Formats: sequence, C-alpha cells, structure tokens
Amino acid sequence: MNRDTLRQLMPIVTLVVLVVLVAAFQPSFVNPATLLGMASDTATLFVLGMGVTFVIMLGGIDLSIQSVASLASVAVALLITPLGYLAFPVAVLVGALAGLLSGIAHVQLKIPSFIATLAVGGVAAGVALLLADAQAITLGEVERGYVGWITGTSLGIPHEVLIALVVLALGTVVQHYTAFGRYSQAIGAGEPAAHAAGIRVGLHKTIACMLSGAAAGLAGAILAGRLASGSPTLADQLLLPAIAAVIVGGTAITGGVGSVWRTLVGALIITVVRSGMTFLNVDIFIQQSVFGAMLVIAVALTIDRSKIPIVK
Amino acid sequence: MSTAAPAPALQLVGIEKSFPGVKALQDVSITLGVGEVVGLIGENGAGKSTLMRILSGVYQPDAGNIRLHGEDTVLRNAQDAARRGIAMVFQEQSLLPNLTVGQNIYLGAEAQFSRMGIVQWSRLYAAAARQLAKVQVDVDPSTITGDLDFATRQMVELAKAMTLEEAGEGHLVILLDEPTSVLEQADIDILFARVRALKARASFVFVSHRLDEVLALSDRVYVMKDGGVVAELPAAEADTRQLHQLMVGRDRHSEYYREAQQRPFGEKVLLETRGLCAGAHYRDVDLTLHVGEVLGIAGVIGSGRESLCRTLFGFEQPTAGEILLDGAPARIAGPADAVAAGIGYVPRERRNEGLVLFLSVAANMTLASLRRVMRHGMIDHAAEARLAGEWVERLHIRTPSIRALCLNLSGGNQQKIVLAKWMNAHARIIILDHPTRGLDVGAKEEVYDLVRSMSAQGLGVLLIADTLEETIGLCHSIMVMRDGRVTRRFDAPSGAKPRQVDLVEHMV
Repeated sequence: MNRDTLRQLMPIVTLVVLVVLVAAFQPSFVNPATLLGMASDTATLFVLGMGVTFVIMLGGIDLSIQSVASLASVAVALLITPLGYLAFPVAVLVGALAGLLSGIAHVQLKIPSFIATLAVGGVAAGVALLLADAQAITLGEVERGYVGWITGTSLGIPHEVLIALVVLALGTVVQHYTAFGRYSQAIGAGEPAAHAAGIRVGLHKTIACMLSGAAAGLAGAILAGRLASGSPTLADQLLLPAIAAVIVGGTAITGGVGSVWRTLVGALIITVVRSGMTFLNVDIFIQQSVFGAMLVIAVALTIDRSKIPIVK
Repeated sequence: MSTAAPAPALQLVGIEKSFPGVKALQDVSITLGVGEVVGLIGENGAGKSTLMRILSGVYQPDAGNIRLHGEDTVLRNAQDAARRGIAMVFQEQSLLPNLTVGQNIYLGAEAQFSRMGIVQWSRLYAAAARQLAKVQVDVDPSTITGDLDFATRQMVELAKAMTLEEAGEGHLVILLDEPTSVLEQADIDILFARVRALKARASFVFVSHRLDEVLALSDRVYVMKDGGVVAELPAAEADTRQLHQLMVGRDRHSEYYREAQQRPFGEKVLLETRGLCAGAHYRDVDLTLHVGEVLGIAGVIGSGRESLCRTLFGFEQPTAGEILLDGAPARIAGPADAVAAGIGYVPRERRNEGLVLFLSVAANMTLASLRRVMRHGMIDHAAEARLAGEWVERLHIRTPSIRALCLNLSGGNQQKIVLAKWMNAHARIIILDHPTRGLDVGAKEEVYDLVRSMSAQGLGVLLIADTLEETIGLCHSIMVMRDGRVTRRFDAPSGAKPRQVDLVEHMV
C-alpha cells in the first residue's frame, strides 16, 4: 500500500525537484514567460502522449505516432489551400485512419501491437514522403492566416496551452466517464477476465489505436501550425519523448494502471529536462540519450514483476 | 500378487501435505516393489495429483519419508527426482513440438554429447535411437515431434523417461499420470504391452480414472479418498464395482447443502442443446435447463463437461449440433454474445477469468453490466458506488471499501463478487464451473445459499461441482458424462437423491 502511494507520487515529486534544481542554477528559469513557453512546448508532446496512454493502458504500444504526426503535418500543408480550416479535422481523420489500420493488423490479424504499429508507421512515413515529394512544404502568407488558433495567444496564454487543456479535459472524460475508458483499464489489468465478462476486447483495442492515431494527427497539425510547414520528418525525434512521457508519468508499460493526468506530469518532466539541459548548457545532441535513459529507469522503477515473470 | 521385496523400489511412509485451508494428503503410505505396477485411483480431489507432484519433486511433503530402494531420500526438485531415476509421463505431454524427437529426448542433457560446447548431433541421435528401441518405437530420431501422432508422442515420452536409466542409478520409477485418456484402444494395448515389457527395468505408478485399465495393467491397486489411502488390494482380487464403493462412501449432510430449500423447478425451458458435438471433447450432448433448475454435470477429467460449459459461454465453438435459448436456435460466437443473451459464467480460474484483480470491487461488479450505471452515455460513479454498496451488504462481502482492489480479498469474498457481477447483469442462466474450489467451509456454505436463492428467483444454474456430494446435494437433476458422452441422467429431488456410487458407476 505504502509503496503504491509512493509510486503514485513519485512523478510529481520528480517534477518539483527538477524545477527546483534547475531554478537553483538558473533563477531566470522560473519567470512566468519561461514557464509559459515551456507549457506551450509541452503541448505537442502531451497530445501525442495522451493518445498513446490508452493503448499502453490496454497493454499494447503504438510506435507509429511520430510518422503519423508527420503525415498529418503534410496533409495540413497540402490541404490548407483548397480546404482552409477543414484541413485540420482531415489531418486528425488521417491519423485515426492510420490507427484503424494498426488496430486491424493488431486485432484481426493478431499481430503484436509493437510490430503492427511499427509497420503502419513505416507505411505512413512512406506515404508522407511521397505526398510531400520528400521535402518540407512551407505555408505561404495566406495559409498562415489559418493557423492563428494554434500560434496565437488569448489573455496572454498561448493557444497551444489552451488546446492541450481541452485535450486533457477530453481525455479525462473518456478515461473516467466512458465505457471505453473503463474497459481499457479492465483489459489492461486482466484481459481474460474482461473477455469472460463479455467485453469486446478486440473492438476496444481498435478504438484505442484510432484514438492514438487521431491524437497523433492533431499533434501533427499543431506542429504544422507552429512551424508554419508540413514535412515528412517533422515529428521525427518525438516518439521516444512521447512514450517516455507516458511511462515517466507513471502509466505501467504492463497495462492496467495509468491516466491522462500522469501523462501530463510525464510530459512536463520531459520538457523541464529538455529546457533545463539547454539552460545548463548541456549539448543538445545528448537529449535523446537522456530520454532513453529516463525511459529505462522509469520502467525499471515502475514495472510490477509479479505480473510478468517472463520478459520477451 | 503383493510382491513385498526386501528393498522396494519406492516406499512412501506417512506422507502429509497441506495447502492453505486444505489438508491435501494425510498419512499416506504406499509401497512400490521392484518391477511392479501399482494402480492409484480416486475421485477428483482425492489427492492423487498432489502425491504425484511430491513423487516428482515438485512439492515437498510436510511430514513423512520417501525411501528409494530402501534409502531415505529427499527429492529437492524435479531435476533431483530425475537424477534419482524417477520419471513422469504426463497426460499433457511435455515434448516441444518444434524440436526433433532426438532433441526432445535429450532436452537439457545435451552436454554428454558435446565437445567444447558444440553438440555432436550424430551421437545424440544414435543414443536417442537406442532409447526408442527400448520402448520398441520405430521412429527416426530426426523427425520433427509435432509431425507425430499423439500415441507415438506418448511413446517418445516413455523413451525420454528411459534415458534416466543411463543417467541415474539403473532401475527406474516411472509415474504414468492418465496416459490413456486420449488414446484409442489399439494404442492403449500397445502402451500397456510396452509397460509390461519394461517391468524388468522399471517400476510403475499408474494413475487413471479408467478402472478396467487399472485392473488390467496393475499388480496392486491403492484407493485414495479425501487425501488418504482407504484401501490397498491385489488387482487380481478386485473388481470395478468394489472399487466404486471404496472411492465414495462419505456421509452427505443434507443440511449442509440446504436441501430443505430445494423447490421443484419450472416448466419453461431456458437452455437446450441438441446433438451438440465438439471434436474430440464431447459428442451428441442433449441437455435441457429449466427455469429455477440446478442441473449438475458429473464426470471425471476428460469427460468433456468443462469443454461443454465453455462452449455454452462462447469460449469454444461446437462442431455440430445446436444450442437453443428460450426455444430459439442461438449462435454464441463469443462471451459477449453469451452475456448479451443473459448467460453468466463463474469460471474455475477465478483469479484469471473471474475477476480483474487489479480493478476495484465496484468496477468488477459492474464489468458485465456497465450500461446499468450509465446516464447519458457517462458512467455515474455515485450510482455505481450505491449499487456496489448494496451488493457488499447483501452478500456480506468483507472488503475495506468498494474502491479496494479485488487482489487483496479472500477467495470467498472474491467469489461473491463474481456472483454479484452476474446477478447485477441480470443473467438468467448461470454456469458455475467449480464454484467452491479453494474456498473454506464457511464461504462454501454462503455459495450454496446463493445457488439456492438464484434457483428460487427462477435462474437456471448449470453446475460443475468439486465433489459428488456437492453435485448430489445442490442439484435438481444430474447428467453424468464419460469420455465425451452422456452416460446417464438422474433426477435428484429433495429426499430422493441418487447415491454417489450410482453416479460413479457411469463416470469411470
């Protein structure tokens, strides 16, 4: 019991300690402008992580998210001229479609989720390269008029932060108040019992994959707005931090335990580490190594070995 | 004939073994002479499996001695038992289907054929061929094991056991655990001939539910009941009728099973099967379950009753025949269909299939009927808590709170949550697969009370019980199965219950 409580509190304690630590070396780190900047930096990462949280809670994994996000950014860049604002929902839909493909491969063809999503990620990356002719597509003056809802600020708060808050609210509702949210947790914690209770396990796994894909699509759209371009490699380097955000936040890689809020804390930890390294003049190239190490440590600390005696 | 040789191959003296809440073995003493075949029989739960696990080193006895060839021995683990020449031939075979026969025979013992870490396969295969010759099986050791039929794999298993002859101390003790249950008669004859031929090099303990086979193969027979040996007799002087009598004969307290509360069941048919078949598991099963009826299925391992119940809940698909719900043909493609049709299933594997252990008491109770606590498409947590609280009170579930994880509750309380889940889902048909397994006496009685109250409410209950007394005590009607077929049906009205021996006759 006590150990469980400790485990639950660890991510938030880690976040606070990290902020204090960095602030001790660089007091300017905690001024409001820096913090708001960090919050908007976190938005994309959080949206990506929020989607994949459900897949991980179900006991699976989604490795396609960075390619799907890049594909969505390309879709936005190509479609914003003919479709205007409609380009953004289409991007989300493209993501959901990629998730559906993963879901079908995983559930209907009974392929482990990491292979199914790795493969679908490859497919998405290829399609993105093809559509964008392997180049970044920069948004023109007119097109930039459509991205104000991403890049602007209201009452001094960056819109990205507001978008992330809306996503957080939606994710919380889905998790706590819908049958899908409850079943995800049940399936992740004990699939045989969930199956024997009449829950359509395959259907909910597919929904989770689609949700993850849609979130990746939205993340891609946000990135496109933010960087005023779409590119087949736009979200590269985001897979590892996104998965790390989910796990560092305290969602168990073995499934059954997790929440959208934990992913928010995890994403903030990742951002603080990233910004902190910049503030402390740590070489930027070492970032991915740090995230990799954090992921290993987080899994090692949180994994419940009584649940999986054999690790493959 | 009783061959009490000076130093028996194996002697068990006063073996005791307990598990939490259960005394599995009590003062068990068994002697196995050199070159002897000893039969071991008993009802499900009599303690045969526990005894075999002790003999193969998997369990340690709490008290008592094991003597091998006259010497006190401790079998630390399965490897230790094997080193001392005790081999086990399981019903569920231990061979890996993707390896060759030779690789399987020497799995884990390749070092003897290795030079500097490289296995010399030709030497291993030559040695494997010698083992196969001992049991007179004509199979190339380089054959992939999965390509062989079941009977041949069983013989390979025996050949694998024979490797211990060279590895250990010569004369072997081979434990045969239900080796015939899935074999055809011709293959059984071959297996028995091989066993007889091997008597010069090995002694055998033969566990089976088929009494005629036990009598045919064994020199002596031990009968077990409730964790103890109740009889030991030469096979030549025994007959199956006598063994049936010895296997049963416990007193059944009608009060314990709430027999006074048993009421006649209704006319309306809830569930019916016609000519239901599932491959090798069961054939031509006709079953009728009425409103308020508790229908018991009696049978030993391999009777097909478990598989039948899993078919009715949609885990398995029948290969022929039909299932009717309320008189209309129904297709149950999966548990979701079964639940939608008002069927509930209380599985034997409670901690795996019955409950999501890492989910709260309340969430488990509403798992099969979440819609009941949803308002406008959202889970109403307050309503869920209220409902769960009501069940906790009604079924006297002892839990710190409805938000506590099921993981930490006792077996009896866990089982009550499983039952609450199905009553909450308004299931009309409940399949109980060993509902009292592992429960203490008090918890068992509470389950019996619930079965009676479900029956009184008009639910149809299909019961696979842990013991025959439970089947007879709780049920209105009993269907006996043997080797996948229904062999007999009994009415079991209160006050005119069949005797255990009547059932056993048709079970084994």
